[in-house]
Amino acid sequence: MVSTMQATISLLIVEKNGATRNRTIAMTSKSFADGLEKRIIKFLEPADVRGTAMLVVDNKNTADEIWIYLPALKKTRRIASSENAKSFMSSEFSNADMGSPALSDFKSQHTTGSGTNNTWIIESIPVSDDKADEYGYSRKISYVSMDTYQVKKMEFFNLDNDHFKTIEITKFHPMPEGKFMVSDMIASNTISGRRSEIHFNNIADRVKVEDSFFTVQSLAR
Amino acid sequence: MVKFIIRFRWIIISLSIVAGVSMGLLIPSSETDPEIRNVVPPDMKSRSETSKIESEFGVQDMVMLLFSDSVILTTENLQQIKEIDREISKLTGVTSRISPFTVRTIKSSEDMMTADPLIRRIPSDSAGIQKLKADILSNKFARDIVISSDMTTASITATIGDSERETVTLHRIDSILASSTGNVKVMKGGLPYIRQHIMKDVRHDGLLLVPLALLVMLLVLKITLGQWRSVIIPFSVVVLSTCISMGLIPLLGWKLSILSLLAPIILIAVANNYGIYLVSRYQEIKLQGNYSSGEGLLKEILGSLNMPILFSGLTTIAGILGLLTHSIIPAKQGGILAATGVSAALFMSLTYIPALIYLRTKSGNGVNPAKVRTEGFQKILNKLSGLIINHSGKVILVSALITLFISAGIAFIRIETNQENFFPKNSPVRIASDVINTKFGGSQTISVMISGDIKDPDVMKGIDRITDEIGNTGGVGQVFSISQAVREMSKAIYTPEEPEYDNIPASRESIAQMFELYNMSGNPEDFSQMMNLENTRAHILIRLSDPSKSVIGDVKTKIETLTAGFPGEVTVGGYAIIMADMADSLIKGQVLSLLFALITVLLLLTIIFRSFRGGLIGSIPLAASVFILFGFMGLTGIAIDSATALLSSVMVGVGVDFTIQYMWCFNIQIRKGLSYAESTRIAMATIGRSIIINAGSVMAGFLPLIFSGFMSIRFFGYLVIISIGSCLLGALILIPAILMKFKPRFIEKDLSISKTRKNEKDTSLINVGTAAFSRLSPAAGRRSDND
Repeated sequence: MVSTMQATISLLIVEKNGATRNRTIAMTSKSFADGLEKRIIKFLEPADVRGTAMLVVDNKNTADEIWIYLPALKKTRRIASSENAKSFMSSEFSNADMGSPALSDFKSQHTTGSGTNNTWIIESIPVSDDKADEYGYSRKISYVSMDTYQVKKMEFFNLDNDHFKTIEITKFHPMPEGKFMVSDMIASNTISGRRSEIHFNNIADRVKVEDSFFTVQSLAR
Repeated sequence: MVKFIIRFRWIIISLSIVAGVSMGLLIPSSETDPEIRNVVPPDMKSRSETSKIESEFGVQDMVMLLFSDSVILTTENLQQIKEIDREISKLTGVTSRISPFTVRTIKSSEDMMTADPLIRRIPSDSAGIQKLKADILSNKFARDIVISSDMTTASITATIGDSERETVTLHRIDSILASSTGNVKVMKGGLPYIRQHIMKDVRHDGLLLVPLALLVMLLVLKITLGQWRSVIIPFSVVVLSTCISMGLIPLLGWKLSILSLLAPIILIAVANNYGIYLVSRYQEIKLQGNYSSGEGLLKEILGSLNMPILFSGLTTIAGILGLLTHSIIPAKQGGILAATGVSAALFMSLTYIPALIYLRTKSGNGVNPAKVRTEGFQKILNKLSGLIINHSGKVILVSALITLFISAGIAFIRIETNQENFFPKNSPVRIASDVINTKFGGSQTISVMISGDIKDPDVMKGIDRITDEIGNTGGVGQVFSISQAVREMSKAIYTPEEPEYDNIPASRESIAQMFELYNMSGNPEDFSQMMNLENTRAHILIRLSDPSKSVIGDVKTKIETLTAGFPGEVTVGGYAIIMADMADSLIKGQVLSLLFALITVLLLLTIIFRSFRGGLIGSIPLAASVFILFGFMGLTGIAIDSATALLSSVMVGVGVDFTIQYMWCFNIQIRKGLSYAESTRIAMATIGRSIIINAGSVMAGFLPLIFSGFMSIRFFGYLVIISIGSCLLGALILIPAILMKFKPRFIEKDLSISKTRKNEKDTSLINVGTAAFSRLSPAAGRRSDND
C-alpha cells in the first residue's frame, strides 16, 4: 500500500435536464499499520463551502469513521458510519464508493458468465439486512478484468433488487510497486437520470505528511 | 318563402338531415377534459404563473392514498402499506412521493446530525410500536402528513408526472391497491382522482341525462300533439339541432366538460317550442279544413307564425349569447353550442318543418290531436285574471315585496369553485377529500416560488417568515418550505442554549454548509420539492384544509403583504389560486353576461313593442326573476359555480318569450277595442294557458338534470325550474297587473310589421300560444280566432 498520496479531485454532477455543477476538493491520504488508512478531504469549490474539511478513517475490519468540519458554523460533526450509503458531496457516488468497503461485510461469489470474455463477474451480497441498509444496496455485481485485476464496472441493485446505479471506471493511475488507483469514474443513476463524474488530477505519491495532520483537531486549520 | 320551401322541400329536408347526422357522427369522437384549470384562459395570470412553477418543481396535483383502521400502527397494516408504497415507487408516472417510509427524522446524537428514515424496520412488538408512535408525534415532517395524530390513518402522497398519461398511472395505482391484501380500508383522493371521477361521471351523465331528457320531451310532445306522426316532426328538429350543436365540440377541437352537458339539455328543453307551435297550428287549420291547397296551408301557418317564432328565437339566442362575455372557457363554448343549436332549431323550424308539413299534406294524412279536459285550468286562470283586474295595485305591491324579501338572500350568496363540492357528500371522492382536509392538511394547494439566491440569509428568512405566517392562517393545513428543513438542521447542529438553535443562520456560507452536512446524512433529492439543485429557486407549498374562496383570498393577501419588497422574484400559483381567479371571473362573467342579455333583450323588446317604455316593462319579469334567483341561491346556500353561473343567461333567453307572448296578445285585444279588463281576461284565458304549458314543457326538459352525478348540475336543474317558474309568474301576474294599473300607451299601438300584412299579424302571436295547445284547449283557440 502506498504510504501517502495527494490529489485534486474534480466532481462534475450532471442533472437529468443537462444542468451541471462542478465541485473541487483536495485529498490527502496516508496508510498506517494494520491496513488503517486515513484521508483528509478539503473543499475548494464552490466558494460557499470552501474550507469545509472531512477526515475519513478507513478501518480495515471495523466500521469507518468520518468527521466533517464546517467553517461557517464553526462546528465539527461526525458522520454516522451507518451512512455509507449516503451521497458523497451531493453526487451519485456514495460515501462507501469513496472508500474501501470491508470485505467481511459481504458474501461474494462468481456469478453466471464469470470467467468468459476475459472478465470475472463477482456478485457481492451484504451479510445482513443492517449491512444492506448501511451500504444502500442489496447486491453488487463487479466486472473485473482477468488480465489486470482491475474493476471495470460495478452495478448496484437497491433493496427491491432493482438495478439503480452503475459505476464505470474509465481510467487508472499507475502507482509505485506496480499498483494502480482509480483516477476517473462515472456513476449513473438509472432511476433519477443523474450522472456524476469524478476525476483525480495532480496525483502525487510519497509526499511527506505528518500523522498529526490526520486528526479531528487539524480539520479546522 | 312558402314557394321556396315547396320548390326545394326535398333539398331542405335532405340538407337538414345530412347536416344533423353528419355532425352527430362526430360526437363519439369527442374527448372529455376533466382538467378544471383549462376552464380559465391560458393567459390568465394565475394559470401562467402556475405553469412557471410547475416547469421547475413539477405538477403539484397530488394523489393521496389513505389507509385507515381503528389502529393503523400494527405490524400487519404497516407491512401492507410498505408493500403498496414500494410498488408505487416503481411506477414511472409517479415523480415523487411522501409516505411513512420516505419521511426522515433529522436529529442530533453524539456529535452527529442524522437524517434517518422514520421507519427503517417495521416494529414487530408493542414496545417498537410505541416508540414509532412517539417518533411520529415528535416529527413535524410525519405527524398529520403521513400518519394522522389520532393514529387511525396513514397516507401516501404521490405526485403524478407527465412521462405517462395520468389515466394510465391511476389505473396502475388502482391495480396495486386491488391486489393488496390486508385489513386497512383504502380511500383515494386528490385532484387526479377527482378528474378521473369527473371523466367517468361526465360520460355517465351524458348517457343518462340526454336520453332521459329526450324521453321526457317525447312524452311532452305526445301529450301536446297527440299523434306520433306529429310528434316526430318537432322531435326530429330537437335531435338534429342537438347533433349539430354537439358535433361542433370535436369539429372545433373542443373537449367535453361538465358544462358541455348543459348544451344538449338546453336544446332539448327549448328547441321543440317552435316546432310545437307550427305543428299545432297545422293540426288546428287542418281540423278546421279552411285551406285550399298545401301551399295555402303553409301560407296560413307561416304567415301567422314566422315573425313571433323569429322574435322568440332571437331573444333566446341573444340571452344565451350573453355567455360569450364570460371569461371562463366552457361558459363561452356552452354559449356558442347552445346558440348554434337554437339557431339551427329556429332555421329548421322555419324551413324543414314546413317542408315536412307540406309533404304530409300531400300524402293526405289525417289529424287526430290529443284531447284533454281543461275546465279546471280555465277556472283557475279566470280567478287569476279577476284578482289582477280588481286588485292590480295590491298584486304589484305583493309581487314587489316578495321579490324584495327573496332578494335579501343575495347578501348571503357564495361563490364556489372547489371541485370537491361537485360531488355528493356520500361519494367516495368527497369522503376521501373530507379525511384529507381534516387529518392531512388538505389536498388543494397554493404554491409560492421564490427565485433568487436561496442560500442568502435574507431570502431564507423571508421564506421562513412566509412559512410561519401562512401556517398560522385559518384554513391552512400544512406549509412546507426549505426554511423548515434549515431550522430542523440548526436544531440538530446547535444546542438549545445557542442563539443559532431553531433559527436561520446569519451567513450564506453557513446555510450552504448545512446543506452539505445534510447531504452527507440524507439524500440531495429529499429537498427536490422545496428547492432546485442549483439553489436558485425555492418552493413554498401551502396545503389548504379549507379550500374556500375566503381562505384562498386571505392567504393570497398575506402572501402579497409578506413579499412586498422581497429580495427575490415571487411567483404565486397553484390550483387553489387558479380557482380563486376563476371565482372572480365567474362574478365578472355573471354580471357582464346578465347585463348583455338584459340590455339585448331590452333592445329587442323596445323594437318589438316600438317603445322604450314597452321594452322596460317587458324586462321587469326578467329583472325580478334575476333578483329572485340570486336571492333564492343565497337563502338556500346554493353557490354560484361554473354551472349555476350560466343559469341567468339561459333564464333570460328562455323566460322572455312568456312576456312577449302575453303583451302581444294583450295588444291585439286592446286594438280590437276591448277594455283593459276584458283584454286581460281574454289574454289570460288564451295565451296564459299556452304560456303555462310552454313553461311546463321547458321545465320538464330540464328536469332530468336533477339526476346528474354532479351537485352543481343538479342545482342547475332545480334552479332553472325555479327561475322559469319565476319568469312565468312575472309574465302572467306582474305584467298583467302593471298593464292594468298603468295602462301604458305603447300597448295600444299597432305592433304589426306592415300594414299590408296587418290581418296576418293581428293573429300572429296569439296563435303562437293558442295554436300550440289548441287541442288541449279548443275553446281558447277558437275564441282567439273569433276575436
